[in-house]
Amino acid sequence: MINEIRNKVKELLETKRVECVIGYERATDNLTARPVFIYEPSQVDRLIFDETCVHNLSKYLLNRKDKPTGIVTKPCDSRGINLLLNESQLHRENLFIIGVVCSGVKKVRFNRIEDSLPTKCQYCPQHTPPLYDFLIGEPVTETSPRNYADVIKIEEMTSKERKMFWSGHFDRCIRCYGCRQACVGCYCYECFVDELDPLWVGIRIAPDENWVWNIGRAFHLSARCIACNECERVCPVNIPLMLINRKLEKDTLRLFEFEPGVNAEVIPPFATFKKEENLGVSE
Amino acid sequence: MALVYEPKIVGFLCNWCSYAGADLAGTSRITYPANLRITRVPCSGRVDPLFVVKAFQLGVDGVLIAGCHPGDCHYTEGNYHTRRRFALLHPFLEYLGIEKERFRLEWVSASEGKRFSELVSDFTENLKRLGTRET
Repeated sequence: MINEIRNKVKELLETKRVECVIGYERATDNLTARPVFIYEPSQVDRLIFDETCVHNLSKYLLNRKDKPTGIVTKPCDSRGINLLLNESQLHRENLFIIGVVCSGVKKVRFNRIEDSLPTKCQYCPQHTPPLYDFLIGEPVTETSPRNYADVIKIEEMTSKERKMFWSGHFDRCIRCYGCRQACVGCYCYECFVDELDPLWVGIRIAPDENWVWNIGRAFHLSARCIACNECERVCPVNIPLMLINRKLEKDTLRLFEFEPGVNAEVIPPFATFKKEENLGVSE
Repeated sequence: MALVYEPKIVGFLCNWCSYAGADLAGTSRITYPANLRITRVPCSGRVDPLFVVKAFQLGVDGVLIAGCHPGDCHYTEGNYHTRRRFALLHPFLEYLGIEKERFRLEWVSASEGKRFSELVSDFTENLKRLGTRET
């Protein structure tokens, strides 16, 4: 599998189809993976692909909008590219996407590899990338049924329990904004938390400011989050952010029958409307 | 004297229908609870979901958004977008532990002064029954 990737990358660089290929290489700890930018055909042997390749590389494409770039993607990352294409952040003709059929990655945290699957892989609906130019591996046609067991568990709590549950998590937030930096959907030039007037999120250290940040972040990604798990992975205080994102994903599917990142041509739900629709508010 | 709990409600009313509806309630001398603090917005589509989040952060007990009936929007389609946005925000707030009775999206036309007053009374009653919001 890795030889297929290396050969393809070599070919792309030699024929000058792309200037650079973004992929994964072995990190200096000899255990985890890290992103790598390959510019020379002689460097292709640095590339790897295995269960430690957790990063979503599609975020790096934002800096290379006008440069021909190749990228190695897992299905979830490929949904991220679809999201960016849909929002006119990338030019399709500048991209060459090497999609890899993925059966799940390991949970990697702070240079430790755990045996459990991360949330995204536990509930992954699709193992073949929805968008690719060249596919590595046998495409899996059947898709797993949607499973929101974790979200339903929270929904079944009482209002008070939910409040306690979330304040228990949000109180820990140190507002490092790592979740924003890692997110492929967070590319605003000025994020709402950086605005000083209006001051959406104050600088004081207070649980309710954390609350606004976490809700604001999640809601800005509603119907956009492609469930790549990066926010949760980088969170230094282990806030289960995917539990929030997946709630919005579930409701988006229920209300608008929309899945972000599956097809770049579909108009996202907040950019359109139907005159007659019953969405459960104001009826 | 025992203190009576009076909930605080923030209302975002669209300039063209609901604000005029509230105005009609006033000029017709229909009373409604003073718990509502009205903010006039050009269109219900102006209401950013963050306004609601921010209002709850600052400790209000309820948020009301009122706009023109679907099809009557002064800007043709603003309220359709509002409906979509808050259809998603409403269950999300509930998921985070804010009771669903605390948020309301309603359509009030400029001629519905009476209905506006009933709506605010009903909302206030519900919030009183619900009690204070623990933050």
